[in-house]
Amino acid sequence: MSPRAWRVVRWALPIVVLLTAWELFSRLGVADSILLSSPSQSLRAIAAIAATQTSGGHSVLLLHVLSSVGALAAALLLASFAGVLVGALMGFNNSVYRFVDPLLTVLMPVPGIAWAPIFMLWLGFGTPTIVAAGALAAFFPLAYNTATGVRSIDPKLLLVARSMGASRLRVLLSVCLPGAAPAILTGLSLGFARGWRTVIAVEMIAARLWGLGYMIMEAREYLRPSLIYGGIILVAIVYLLLERLVVRRLEKTTVERWGMVSPLET
Amino acid sequence: MRTSSQPFTRTLRFLYPLVVVVALWQLVVSLGVVDSSVMPAPAQIAARTAALLYVQPVLLLYLGVSLYRVAAGFALGSVVGVALGVLMGAGTTPRAALKPVLDFLIAVPTICWVPLLLVTIGMGDATIIIAVFLGCVFPVAYTSMNGVRSVPGDVVLAARAMGAGRAAILRYVLVPGALPSIITGLRLAVGYSWRALVGAEMLAAAASGIGYMIYAARAFYDVNAMFVGLAVISIAGLTMDYVVLGAAERRTVQRWGMVSGT
Repeated sequence: MSPRAWRVVRWALPIVVLLTAWELFSRLGVADSILLSSPSQSLRAIAAIAATQTSGGHSVLLLHVLSSVGALAAALLLASFAGVLVGALMGFNNSVYRFVDPLLTVLMPVPGIAWAPIFMLWLGFGTPTIVAAGALAAFFPLAYNTATGVRSIDPKLLLVARSMGASRLRVLLSVCLPGAAPAILTGLSLGFARGWRTVIAVEMIAARLWGLGYMIMEAREYLRPSLIYGGIILVAIVYLLLERLVVRRLEKTTVERWGMVSPLET
Repeated sequence: MRTSSQPFTRTLRFLYPLVVVVALWQLVVSLGVVDSSVMPAPAQIAARTAALLYVQPVLLLYLGVSLYRVAAGFALGSVVGVALGVLMGAGTTPRAALKPVLDFLIAVPTICWVPLLLVTIGMGDATIIIAVFLGCVFPVAYTSMNGVRSVPGDVVLAARAMGAGRAAILRYVLVPGALPSIITGLRLAVGYSWRALVGAEMLAAAASGIGYMIYAARAFYDVNAMFVGLAVISIAGLTMDYVVLGAAERRTVQRWGMVSGT
């Protein structure tokens, strides 16, 4: 077996053992099999939702997933604009940093879901509230990391670029942005994790019809533990997939392309 | 420059932007730029705070209940998490068996466990405390495991060569070596616990707690109480982080000689 395949097996084995044990416990009736559910029942519950179609002919499960992922994408877009702007101002100007830092310090420990009731009052039930709470949660790591990234740029590089005749805009785009990029992307991946958690949480109390958080909460209303288990597993899988396929890849392409990983090789 | 000999100046520097923003906020609402029934002025929020403290004194009660829940969940989570993490860090077999499961569970947002706990256990303290437990046990296990694994192998070999048994290596080499990571992990876990508490209280508290207060205020359009709740969450979160764990870090890590030069 190739080392790669062996790694996959070693990673999957404990999970398979755990799922088998869970299935056995449930089948043998060790605990209440409705509350305990089982992997096969959870899978069936998810498959049933996936097979159910809306009047428009779309899979209900797909709409739940797309709704959550779409809300996260919108939240991250908003948070990136605001976070990079505020972070850059903080990074370039020390008095801005000293003024804004206490404000962020005070606001950051408040979890996104705590804002949800206020946002519901301002924006109503549904997507705007979910996106706003997700964006707020993702904003803080983006702002802080952008500030750190900008502050870490060697001032000599700025002077060199300026003295060679680069315009202020050119310096911003060609020196500051690549220089701060690794830190900004760290902020983005932290914001991605915070944003996802918040989107799922707020969907539980503020969604109209769609979203994985809403699906799990609805399964609770109808006392369907198998769908709750399925939903929890799905939320983790979607998160891991997005992290591996989007966030890590984004980090790799941009940071490597701008040559920020190993400057010695160039 | 900022030095620890001037705590007063530092406090002023920290408070000054907050005072400015609160004053501006008050001005904007007083001038009627925004509707005060939707965005209450700081004075209204202060009045509501006073009412919640003296007229209908629930604020301190709620805060006490919340602190009890978060302390119970955090205590359970940190004990189990550190034990699990040290086990996984020190033993190859436990690590191979548990790491994939941990990798998966750490990707589950804590709030997702709450509906499940509501179905299996029901509303109340047990569900909230378990949610807090689940919010911190996995990250604590992770950082503790990484801490133990970061202890250099030759140190372990040296201890073994000098005749230390497995228990002695664990007690005198691995755990002290991992302590900085463990403390950092615990400090982060205070934040995770607090976040898990607020979410769990919003969904699962029967009649008390800060999260409950914010969520219940929705039914009465009591925006003031929502802002009071946010302020309490922020202040309590910051206080826990700075006071409790800052002190723990200074005491334990310095005493064990893990901080260079001090």
